[in-house]
Amino acid sequence: MTDLAVVVRGMRLGYGQFVVLDEVDLTVAEGEIVAVTGVNGAGKSTLLSCLAGLHRQLAGTLTVLGSPPRDDAAFWRAVAIVADLPTWYPGLTVREHLDLVRLTHSPIRGWCLPADELIDTFGLAARADAVPLDLSSGQRQRLSLAAALARPSRLLLLDEPEQSLDAGFRQELAGLLREGYAANGGTVIMATHDADFAAAAGARRVLLAEGRVAAPGLAGPTP
Amino acid sequence: MTAPAAEATSVAAVRSFVGSRQVRRRAWYDWYAMGFAVVLFAVLASDILAEPFSRLTASPGASPPAQAVAGAALVVGAAAGLLVLAQTFGPLAISPADASWLLLSPLNRRAVLRRPLTTTAVLAALAGAVLGVLALAMAGPYLPRTHHELWAWLVLAAISGAGFFMAAALTAVLAQPSRRRRGRLRTAAATTSAAAVLVGVAGRRWSGLAHTVTAGFGHISYLTAWVLAAIALATACGAVLTARRMLPLFPAGVLRDDSVRAGRTRLAASFLNVPLLTWVAEDNRWRGQLLASRSWPRLSPAFTLAWADWRRLGRRPAPLAVLAASTLAPALVAAAITGHARGLTIAATVLAGAVAAGTQGAAALRRDANDPTLRRLLGVNAGAALAARAALPALLSAAWLTLALTVLVLAGVLSGWLWPALGLVAAPGAAAAALRIARAEPIDPSQRGPDTPISTPPWLATRAISALLGVIGCYPLLTAVRAGRADGGTLAAQVVLSAIVLGGYLFFASR
Repeated sequence: MTDLAVVVRGMRLGYGQFVVLDEVDLTVAEGEIVAVTGVNGAGKSTLLSCLAGLHRQLAGTLTVLGSPPRDDAAFWRAVAIVADLPTWYPGLTVREHLDLVRLTHSPIRGWCLPADELIDTFGLAARADAVPLDLSSGQRQRLSLAAALARPSRLLLLDEPEQSLDAGFRQELAGLLREGYAANGGTVIMATHDADFAAAAGARRVLLAEGRVAAPGLAGPTP
Repeated sequence: MTAPAAEATSVAAVRSFVGSRQVRRRAWYDWYAMGFAVVLFAVLASDILAEPFSRLTASPGASPPAQAVAGAALVVGAAAGLLVLAQTFGPLAISPADASWLLLSPLNRRAVLRRPLTTTAVLAALAGAVLGVLALAMAGPYLPRTHHELWAWLVLAAISGAGFFMAAALTAVLAQPSRRRRGRLRTAAATTSAAAVLVGVAGRRWSGLAHTVTAGFGHISYLTAWVLAAIALATACGAVLTARRMLPLFPAGVLRDDSVRAGRTRLAASFLNVPLLTWVAEDNRWRGQLLASRSWPRLSPAFTLAWADWRRLGRRPAPLAVLAASTLAPALVAAAITGHARGLTIAATVLAGAVAAGTQGAAALRRDANDPTLRRLLGVNAGAALAARAALPALLSAAWLTLALTVLVLAGVLSGWLWPALGLVAAPGAAAAALRIARAEPIDPSQRGPDTPISTPPWLATRAISALLGVIGCYPLLTAVRAGRADGGTLAAQVVLSAIVLGGYLFFASR
C-alpha cells in the first residue's frame, strides 16, 4: 500500500471576513506530483500555505507526512516551499545563497543536487558570482527553485513555479521534478496555470473552484 | 520524519557564513558621519532634557503641581506610545532575508530568535530607564528625599522604568502570535495614553486634582522606591524567562509576515519615507475587510476622484477620534514645559498636529504619488484633481487647529476668542504642507545617490521643504502662539499668507 504524504479532510480557511477554502478534501501519495489548478483567487496559494503550516485552518483536519504541520526543525527538514521570491541577503552571490541553503540543512542526507550542478542545470553559470538583485526576474525565479532542490526534502510545495520562466526551461524543470525529485521518492504539490508544464511533469491535476475541490483529478494533459 | 539534530549546523555558524561574506571596510567618512550624528544627537538630547532633569534637585516651589502632573502624564503617554510603536515593528522581528532563509529551515528556532529577542529587551530596558528617570524628574520636587540620596533615587527610578517597560515590551512579544491579544494590548496602551493626556490637561484647569496627584508623589518613600525597583526586576526576569520559553514555539507564519512588514517599516522610517510608511499601514488596515460597495455621488471628474478620501475617512472613523483627542496635545505640552522653550514647543506642536490632521485626508493622493497608474487610467487632469483633493486636508487642518486653539484658550494658556478664528484661516497653509508630504515620491534607497558627510542628502532636503512650507504657510499663527498674543492684524496677515501659500503650491505643483 502506498504511503500518503498529504491528507486533507473538510478543511476550511479564511482571511478576515473572507472564506477562501471551504470543505476541501485532498489526498496525495508519496512520490506523486499533483498540480492544483483553478482560476485566480480559487485558493491555490492559500492551500499550499496551509499545507506548510503557515496558516492555521478554521476547521477540518490536515496531515502532512504523517502528522499535522508542526512548524519545527524536523518539519522544515522534510518540507520545502517556494512561494513569493525570497528576500536576498545583500552582498551574497547566487552561489553563496545556494551554499547557505545546504549549510542550514546539513547534514545532507537524501536526494538533492549540489550547488555546482544546480547552477549549470538552472542556466545560472554566467551569473553565479553576481548578487541576485542583478538577475532578471526569470533568473531569480530559477534561483529560488534551485534553492529548494539544493537540500533534501520529502515534500516540495511550489506556488506557480512557471512564473517568469521561458517555455524551454519550463519543460526542463518539469523533467527534473519528474525524473529527479519524484523518482527519488519526493512528493510535489504545485499551484500552476500552465497545463503543458503540469502534463510534462506527469502531474495529477486537482481543480479548485470557489474554495472547493471541483475535480480530484486524473493524470494526463489538460482537456 | 527524522530529525538528525545532533549534527545540525548551528545558527552561529550560519550567521558567521553570512557575515563573513558581507564585510565591507568602512571608510574614514563613514566614521566621521557616524560620529557627527552621535554628537549632534547628544547636543540636541541634552538641550531637550536639561530642563526636566533640572527639576531633580528643585524644591516644590520651583515646579507648580500642574506642571509636575502634566510632565508625569507626558512620560506615561510616551511609554504607551512607545509600546504601540514597538508593536508596529513586531516587536519580535528578524531581517526579511533571515525570514526567507533561516526561519523555514531545520535550524534551532530559539537560537534564530535569541538575538532579536535580546535586542528587543535591551532597547526596551534603555527606553524604560530614560522614562523612569524622566518620571522621577517630574515628581522630583514633591518626593520626600534628601539631597544626598539623589543618586540612589536615580538608580532606583532607572531600574524601575527599565524593568517595567521591558516586561511590557516582552508581553507584547508574547501577545504577538495572537491577533486578538495584540489588539487588546494596543487598546490598553491607547487608553492609558488618552487617560494620561486627560489628567495632564485637567490638572492645569483644576488645581485640586494636581494637588491630589502631587500629594500622592509625597507618599512615595525611599523604601517604596526600593520595593518598586525589586518588583520591576522580578517582573522583567519573569517576562524574559516566559518569552525565552515560547521562542521555539513562535509561529513561523506570523514571524515571517511581521518581519517583512517590519523590514519595510524600518526602511521607510529610516528615510522619513512617509508615503511608503502609510502605504504599509493602509494596506494592513484594509486587508481582509468586506465592505459595502456604494455608488459615486454626481460630481465633476476631479471631485469624484477626490471623493475617494472622503469615503475612506467615512469608513474609518478611528483616525478622526485619535485626531480629536490629539487636540489636547498642545495644552499638555504647555502645562509640562516652562521657560523660553515653552512658546516655541507649543507652536511646533500646533503646526505638527495641523499638518498631521491634513495628511489624514490625503491617502489617495499619496497612493497616486507612489503609483500614478490608476489616476492615468481614470484620465482626470492632474491639476484639477490636486485642487479638488486639497479640500479635505484643509477642512481637517481647520477643524484640528480650531479645536486645539480652543482647548488652549479654555486651559488658560492663551486668552481671547480670536484664536479659533486664527486657526480656521491658517488651515490652508498647513494643508499645503500636508499635500506636499503626500505627494513626495517614495525614496528608493538604491536610487537615492551617495550621502556625503558634508552635505545634506537630497531625500532629507525634500522632506525639510515640506515642513518649511508649513512654517511659512502658518507663520503669523505660529509667531502669535509663540508670543501668546494675537490681534486683527495677525488674522489679516494669516488670511493673505494662507491664500498665497496654498494657491501658489497648487499652481506650481500642477504645472
